[in-house]
Amino acid sequence: MDTNSSVSGVIFDIQRFSIHDGPGIRTTVFLKGCSLHCFWCHNPEGIRVKPEIRYDPARCINCGACVAVCTNGAHAIDAQGRHTYDRTKCLSCGLCVEECFTEALVLTGKTQTAEQVVAEVLRDRAFYETSGGGMTLSGGDPALQPAFSAEILARCKAEGLHTAIETAGNYPWANLAGLLPHIDLVMMDIKQMDAQRHRAATGVSNVRVLATAERLAVETDKPLLFRVPVVPGVNDADADIAAIAAHVRRLSQARRTAGRRAPITLELLAFHRLASQKYQSLGLDYRAANLEPPTEQRMRELRAIVADYLATD
Amino acid sequence: MSSLVIEMPAEGIAPTYAERLAALRGEKMAQTQEKWAVIGAMDYDDWALILPPPDAREVIQTISASGVPIVDVKMKGFAAESNHPNGDFFGPVAFGRNFRRLLEMHPVYIDPNSSLAGGYMVNFGSYRKSGWNPDFDYSHLHAAQRLYKLHTGIGGAQHFCHDLQIGLDLGWRGLLDKIAYYRTVNTDAKAQEFYDGLTDVVLGMQSWIGRTADAAAARAETEADPFQAANLREIAAINRRLVTEPPQTFREACQWMLWYQSAARMYNGSGALGRLDVLLQPYYERETAAGTLTDEEAIFHIACLLVRATDYIQLGGPDETGRDVTTPLSYLILEAGHRLKIPANIGVCVGETTDEGLLRRGLEVMFEDKTGIPKFLGVDNTVEGFARNGYPLELSRQRAYAGCHWLALPGREYTFNDMVKINFAVVFDVALRDMLADSSVQPSVAELWRRFEFHLRRAIDTLAQGFDFHIRHMHDVAPELVLDLLCYGPIERARDASSGGVDYYNCCVDGAALANAADSFAACEQRIEREGRLTWAELLAHLDADWAGPEGERVRLMMRSVPRFGSGGSLSDDHAQRLADLFTRLVKERRTPDGHQMVPGLFSWAMTIMMGKDAGATPDGRHAGAPIAQGANPMPGFRKDGAPTALAAAVAAVQPGYGNTAPMQLDLDPGLTRDEGGLEKVAGLIRGHFALGGTQINLNVMDKEKVLEANRDPSKYPDLVVRVTGFSAYFASLSPEFRQMVVDRLIAEG
Ligand code: SF4
Ligand code: SF4
Repeated sequence: MDTNSSVSGVIFDIQRFSIHDGPGIRTTVFLKGCSLHCFWCHNPEGIRVKPEIRYDPARCINCGACVAVCTNGAHAIDAQGRHTYDRTKCLSCGLCVEECFTEALVLTGKTQTAEQVVAEVLRDRAFYETSGGGMTLSGGDPALQPAFSAEILARCKAEGLHTAIETAGNYPWANLAGLLPHIDLVMMDIKQMDAQRHRAATGVSNVRVLATAERLAVETDKPLLFRVPVVPGVNDADADIAAIAAHVRRLSQARRTAGRRAPITLELLAFHRLASQKYQSLGLDYRAANLEPPTEQRMRELRAIVADYLATD
Repeated sequence: MSSLVIEMPAEGIAPTYAERLAALRGEKMAQTQEKWAVIGAMDYDDWALILPPPDAREVIQTISASGVPIVDVKMKGFAAESNHPNGDFFGPVAFGRNFRRLLEMHPVYIDPNSSLAGGYMVNFGSYRKSGWNPDFDYSHLHAAQRLYKLHTGIGGAQHFCHDLQIGLDLGWRGLLDKIAYYRTVNTDAKAQEFYDGLTDVVLGMQSWIGRTADAAAARAETEADPFQAANLREIAAINRRLVTEPPQTFREACQWMLWYQSAARMYNGSGALGRLDVLLQPYYERETAAGTLTDEEAIFHIACLLVRATDYIQLGGPDETGRDVTTPLSYLILEAGHRLKIPANIGVCVGETTDEGLLRRGLEVMFEDKTGIPKFLGVDNTVEGFARNGYPLELSRQRAYAGCHWLALPGREYTFNDMVKINFAVVFDVALRDMLADSSVQPSVAELWRRFEFHLRRAIDTLAQGFDFHIRHMHDVAPELVLDLLCYGPIERARDASSGGVDYYNCCVDGAALANAADSFAACEQRIEREGRLTWAELLAHLDADWAGPEGERVRLMMRSVPRFGSGGSLSDDHAQRLADLFTRLVKERRTPDGHQMVPGLFSWAMTIMMGKDAGATPDGRHAGAPIAQGANPMPGFRKDGAPTALAAAVAAVQPGYGNTAPMQLDLDPGLTRDEGGLEKVAGLIRGHFALGGTQINLNVMDKEKVLEANRDPSKYPDLVVRVTGFSAYFASLSPEFRQMVVDRLIAEG
């Protein structure tokens, strides 16, 4: 096959023993950069493309090592001997991180070649084989770094791994089309059927998202798993979930009409607040801080609605 | 078949097995709580010892064989007879005689809810004054043993596996007959002394069992409850027979094993049981075919055995030809452990040909009970590995799981298992100081490796000489009289198993603190050699000061932040691999001077705390005296995501590969199986580890909140069972330090 060892991209994590992102034991590669700005995002470090510094003052021992290396003056030790960090002066070069051994400073996002990424992914090959697992590209949205994603996926396929992608769907179809030949499972978010409310929650309309969903359903025969992060006020009313479930049922029917067989399923995931510390360390405002995660009971009720729609499918 | 007539009670409703089991558990809990009150912390597997009644016991403060102050319980009115000027007793005659005297006065224990009688109340070892007979001197080894702080195994008892089949076939009278016969074959004075010792053990057992039968019969007379009275009469009849006869029924076989295991545990702590499913299979098959034994009854008898003998059991695995021996009975044994929910030590074999269902059932039990039971045995790798020592596969397949992390050929192999440890952190420290004291060399990581190899070889040579010394003299110090009875050779040759009685001598040499040494090598290479952030002299000063002061702390964090063993593809991973390869090569490069094989493994058992105290600060950022890494495991916190696959791949990569194990200690979140397919993923993790060469998995599924809560107030969850390492134990039984070790693991793995 054609592989290009110089294709590189920006990732912010590679998580081994990932067990909620597709079948079996998986390694999930998180690519940086997303075109949506969901205010509750569980991976805020995945939103922007460029590397960022995460700073956790609780870990800082005020040693001053970072001050000495930053040529932009982002770090300082104040009169009381306390360390301060001015994010506005930072260019994310990462030099200070190399000197900070307490991990008060951490660089989120690094440029890697597809080859490097796949070498890391292959470390757990034995476990993919014994569990029916593989590699998942997540993010951010991996379809926004199409050449990099295609290269990782192609290399994984060439190694015989099961591949999956998690995507938000908000891009021209071509971004995804180039990846599809190397993908076994597509997981895609649908957050809200109403375009206005979608924009209010994520910053963009859902038109392209739904177009991507449509084409995935009708023009491909990839197994499709639609996922809904259930977020209070955004989509946690019965009607919100029912609308999404009804849409997924239509897509499913359309796929069959087109003579295709691969399953289309819908899964609900509960919003949680575990990301709050990440927002702080990135210097971001966490607008979901006061949202109450849906209760187990509420999730069961909503899942029952989904089951109703998909059962009559 | 048994001559027993099963009596039907005249009236009333018989208690169910479940009710009787609940009563047994309650009884055991009460006994354990009494032990906590009297003895205090017990940092080892849950021995089924029952305290003697208050008026029959003495509680004493003493120093354990490993030098730790402990509380011990003795039987009032029993004193061992000495045969040595130092007041202690040594050799087969004195051991046999004293053990028999103890057995003859040992109180009888009968729980009318159990189908089996018997329980032991003291450790025979409590009556010994010294671990070794001073007449046999090994002071020539002391300097090196102390320099490397070796756990030498000299004077260490048991830690090999007898074959219960011999006892099930012969019974106590058959054993006496066998001894009597070989008395006429081996007629020298030394042989006769050995036979005297063995004979005394059997006579003592017959006394104990016979008195138990009498007591059961007497209690039956006064027992008001008709069911318990009937049960007591059965117990009396069974034990009356077992004084002399081999067991005939499933229940009798369990009872016979319970007697033997109790004696072996009492005598010197042996907790090996081996392949219980194979041993009980003929009785099970015969009686289920005849319709005289139901599965529920079989589970109950096994549970009655396990509640009083928490010994190590292998389920499934290959027979000599490689065919898996798993039967429905294997599942019933697992079920018995499941229903008891007490610390039990059941290992399930996982291999190419083993039963997939048993693994699955094992995982279900694991996630439901959260008691760390069962553990998982990578049988293909231990079989192939053991064969690498030059043994045929047929023999290798007979090796059975019988201890914390170890296997042995039942009745044929003497092993020193789990008693002999080299602390790599200490060897590293000796090598580092040696290098830095030598002004003729330029310090470097390469030079450090050379010195490390030199000292590691010397440490192994010291152990090798110690093995020979032990094997030459143990017979005359503390012979293995109980295990000898069920081994092939000791009676026949008139030689103790420790000293030539069996066919195979494979001396276990375990390495510990692999992660600390590997991470230290990597930290030196990264920070001193590659980056020049620190000099060797500065490092030494920080180690001597135990990283004191703000600069010390900064340097400590700098050294610690070098990617760890287990992170995958790191310098530390390379050094770990190199260390494991070196250790294996050095252990295997020669035999002991007397020609015995040595077999490498990686395991620190529960000694990660004690061995940590032995070691000063290490360049991996570890403080002086802090715990070392567990066995072959990376240090807790080795990766931010703590990925179990990273752990499993790392531990698999450092396997010595000669049949002894380097277990993986793995803690998983109970929520893992909440999602559909969760159990299959854990099964995949286990199979993946073994596919990569892993040998054993100590899996713990812990309820984090519950364990943290129990750590604050142990009395809150008296029956919380956790897997500590190769063994599981009541959490509340552990010392605060050990509880902290379990908690630290949980926190590090988030
Ligand atoms: S290097 Fe790290 S610990 Fe030191 S002052 Fe800077 S942020 Fe704080
Ligand atoms: S990342 Fe670079 S620019 Fe930003 S604070 Fe650190 S050293 Fe300065």
